[in-house]
Amino acid sequence: MRTKDRLFANLDLPLLIAVLTLMFLGVLTVYSVTYNPESPSILSMGEKYGKQLLWVGISLFVGLLMLLIDADIYRKFAEFIYLGCLVLLVIVLFMPPVHGARAWLGIGGLGIQPAEFAKIATALYLAKIIDQINLKLQNLQTVVNILVILALPGFLVALQPDAGTLLVFSSFLFVMYREGISFDPLLLRIINYFRVVRFKTTWLGTHFIPFLFFTLILCLMSLLLSNTPIHILGLELPGIQLLSLFITLLGLIFLLLLIFFGYPRYRKNHLVVLLSAYAFIIMLINSISFVFQHVAKPHQKNRIELFLGLKEDPNGDDYNRNRAMAAVGSGGIYGKGYLQASVSSMRTNHVPESETDFIFCPFSEEWGFLGSLLLLSLYVFVILRIFSIAERQRSTFFRIYAYCVGMIFFYHVAINVGMNIGLAPVIGIPLPFISYGGSSILAFTSMVFILLKLDSQRKDVLR
Amino acid sequence: MNLENRKYFLVGLVVFTGILFLSRLAYMQIFDPTWSRRATEIAERRREIIPPRGTVFDRNWNKIVVNQISYNLMVVEEKLTTFDTASFAKLIGWEKSEVRERLLEIKQNEGYYLNPATGKRESNFRKDRPYPLIKDLSLEEITQIAPFLGDYGGGIYEEPVGTRYYPYPNAANIFGYMSEVNQEEIEKDPFYRPGMNIGRSGIERSYEAVLRGIKGVRYIVTDATAHEIKPYADKKFDTLATPSPNLILGLDINLQAYGEELMKNKKGCIVAIEPRSGEILTMVSSPGYDPNLLSGRKNIRKNYPALVSDPNLPLFARPLQAEYPPGSIFKLLQSLICLQEGKIRPNSVFSCNKTVVGCHNHPTATSVAKAIQYSCNPYFYAAVRKVIQPNLANTKEQDAEIGLENWYTYMTAFGLGKKLNVDIDFSAQRGGLIPNAHYYNRYLGKGNWSFSTICSIAIGQGEIKMTPLQMANIAAMIANRGWFITPHFVKSIGNKGPRAVYLKKHVVPINQQHFNVVIEGMRRVVYEPGGTGSEARSADYVVCGKTGTVQNGKNKKNHSVFIAFAPKDNPKIALAVFVENAGAGGVWAAPIAGLMIEKYLKKSIVNLEKEQLIKNTKL
Repeated sequence: MRTKDRLFANLDLPLLIAVLTLMFLGVLTVYSVTYNPESPSILSMGEKYGKQLLWVGISLFVGLLMLLIDADIYRKFAEFIYLGCLVLLVIVLFMPPVHGARAWLGIGGLGIQPAEFAKIATALYLAKIIDQINLKLQNLQTVVNILVILALPGFLVALQPDAGTLLVFSSFLFVMYREGISFDPLLLRIINYFRVVRFKTTWLGTHFIPFLFFTLILCLMSLLLSNTPIHILGLELPGIQLLSLFITLLGLIFLLLLIFFGYPRYRKNHLVVLLSAYAFIIMLINSISFVFQHVAKPHQKNRIELFLGLKEDPNGDDYNRNRAMAAVGSGGIYGKGYLQASVSSMRTNHVPESETDFIFCPFSEEWGFLGSLLLLSLYVFVILRIFSIAERQRSTFFRIYAYCVGMIFFYHVAINVGMNIGLAPVIGIPLPFISYGGSSILAFTSMVFILLKLDSQRKDVLR
Repeated sequence: MNLENRKYFLVGLVVFTGILFLSRLAYMQIFDPTWSRRATEIAERRREIIPPRGTVFDRNWNKIVVNQISYNLMVVEEKLTTFDTASFAKLIGWEKSEVRERLLEIKQNEGYYLNPATGKRESNFRKDRPYPLIKDLSLEEITQIAPFLGDYGGGIYEEPVGTRYYPYPNAANIFGYMSEVNQEEIEKDPFYRPGMNIGRSGIERSYEAVLRGIKGVRYIVTDATAHEIKPYADKKFDTLATPSPNLILGLDINLQAYGEELMKNKKGCIVAIEPRSGEILTMVSSPGYDPNLLSGRKNIRKNYPALVSDPNLPLFARPLQAEYPPGSIFKLLQSLICLQEGKIRPNSVFSCNKTVVGCHNHPTATSVAKAIQYSCNPYFYAAVRKVIQPNLANTKEQDAEIGLENWYTYMTAFGLGKKLNVDIDFSAQRGGLIPNAHYYNRYLGKGNWSFSTICSIAIGQGEIKMTPLQMANIAAMIANRGWFITPHFVKSIGNKGPRAVYLKKHVVPINQQHFNVVIEGMRRVVYEPGGTGSEARSADYVVCGKTGTVQNGKNKKNHSVFIAFAPKDNPKIALAVFVENAGAGGVWAAPIAGLMIEKYLKKSIVNLEKEQLIKNTKL
């Protein structure tokens, strides 16, 4: 009895309620999208909504079981869970392909996707490994170890092929950043090879992940601007030149700041950093623009242009996204009403996959901007709640795992919703708890319930 | 190094993404109408409902023009994204190359039209517009194909096209025919779309706007294969199609059929009018054709060339388009004018002086009625001379000019020398010719002519030209004792009655009593010994008539004409019979008129021998 009392007393109710709400919305949306007037009961097992409800039931049952298991077990057996998932990921490659991907274990509708569970396993194992690292004594080995742990399942998933899940594995990089994993050992080895200046640490290595993120955004901007002339003060400037000009100005300002306010002691090093950063950025944006305009093959260029919205091809390559966006846009402020989605419902079938990867568009079409606002807010709440749960953990293992869960959520939501509104490329990954699919629901439920269990035991851990 | 603060980077990332997405959503869903419009394009369709074309009835409520559905296979190129030519060719039983050629042909031909602005042929072919791929498929043919059309994603579908069916193989020149609309018509009138039919002649053309009905529009929600899912917005914006009201013609289809039978193997026409209403009971143009020969694209393609090149001109609507000299029937009008002008009295006598104008042998006409009975040429020469030369000017030439103008106003009042404006395409009618002073001044020179120059107009020869319809209308006008209603086919549009113009009485400027004189003459023509129209005689009712024998140039046989009405009091039918190259009016035209009257008034024929003789005669 004591165990039970303590268990429920320490459960994080806001997160639990938010997740249960998402599940409810999921069943509701799947019902609407796949609604068949001939078997309107939500319990009809022949329809997707019946199956979805069944999976929610199974998932909640499994989640309950997870609450009953001692949290320490996950830490103890993290390697084995990880290895087990790797084995499953290998086995799955020998299964017959479904929709062109060897992602399913089992037969037909009852299959599960090991890739969904590999995310949890990797998160657990990564947490355990980082927990064991002494942050003050990072070396090349520690960085490589972590990258290998990420790369192995990532590689196997890529073989399926499942670009979406592969992308999700990159979310752990952000967790590494939070935990202070530095890319310095890697970078220093390269930089010190040239023996011009000596660094003990580099800004770049320490903040490698945000830097990568920043670089990606720069790449996107230079792609966007490379073909778009911009009119300023009656002048028509190629966008890419304008961007270069802007960055040069920014560089000069930094230079002046450095000269007047910088520590004289570090001035030389900072100057080198600034100049190399400036040179790097200018080279990056111009070379990307050059590659895009002169080297990229037409079909590659086409893809990129479609994604960036520089070109439209509503009936060809951009079919799905164009129709999904039309569905979202037609929702208006208040939406068309429940069961009234005329573009994205399965009955009209204008948007293929509208019950799985594109489920955000029927939701948004039926509930409009207000509904979408509510759903996105709920997701932001869930992610931030997970972050705050992470921050209150005494155990590093728990915290890392929690951050991993939060980032997985963030990636899934950002990519899934992003592709429905034209802000992300079309990459098939499910919207947590909403998209139809047993594996996805079971995996996300397990992920969250493990987190809830870990959180409920946070006070047992002695720092 | 404080790692705690790094959490703000992650939180910031999440919050920033959330705000970015929400702004994007707000823009897409609230401010930018593009996506909403795109959704309408994708999921909603405007479907036009074309009501069935109006049915046409005759005066006894026999259906005479009805609809028959055939199907066009339509193609929308935009939607043929994944078009399997081979499977489609197999489905319709064509060669693969034929399908390709046809698609190319559509692109190159269907969209072309003559741009009036530039005078050049320009293409307005559009990928999102439907064009007929195969036209005029029967129900049997389409049922083989239609179930498989779903495979082509809405790019190919069937569309019913109304073609006409005529239960009676008669009256083709009245009904006219329909054929496919051309590009110009599609541009001009939003009602038409490629593949639809439009009335080309006859009633079909003149009542096109009535017969086609009013299109309905439905807005529907469709699926990706263009099939209807449900009505859009609970049918809020839908409009119903309004079918055309029925057209009820004054035509008596049985009389028409009988007339066509009598006229078989003869060239000419019969026009019968109900005098009281101006409704046309019968309008036979011989030789005619079965209207079903020109119903539907396949039939038109098969039969039209033969009909057009036939030397007997079956497509030529003689009653409206042929202009003949009226011959002696014109004497009726001359009598009326002379009496009205006071130049003769009912019992005036003019000797049959064959030195001025030829005549046949008959007793001297001692009254107007007898002059009509004998059809005495010199009598009317002398009488009309008094009208044309009224002794009002110094020279006879100037005098003739004044007299002819006066005479001309009477003619115009009788509905001659101009189109009568029947309810058939105005351009397909002719007005005949009545010469006036201006006419002779132009051709003979002013001051170069007087009555003696133009005297043949007195006996309906020379320059005078009338259409058979005008001849029948004259009979109706005399039957009415001085007025007529413009002859017309459509007795009622739905239950609204005829068009307003066909209710107006045209009163001629002749006093009532003069008609009694002329009608007595017409009775004598048929009933008195020496009358020329005795072949039209009936014992059960009084037929009034007048023969005409139209001289037709040298070495050509005369045309045979007869106009009549019956019964004498309270006339029910007025008609004109014109048989080309048949000889004297009394020989062929009169008996045909007699049979027609008998058929209409008695419904059965007594003298079957006469009927048989006429039917079997080939002229």
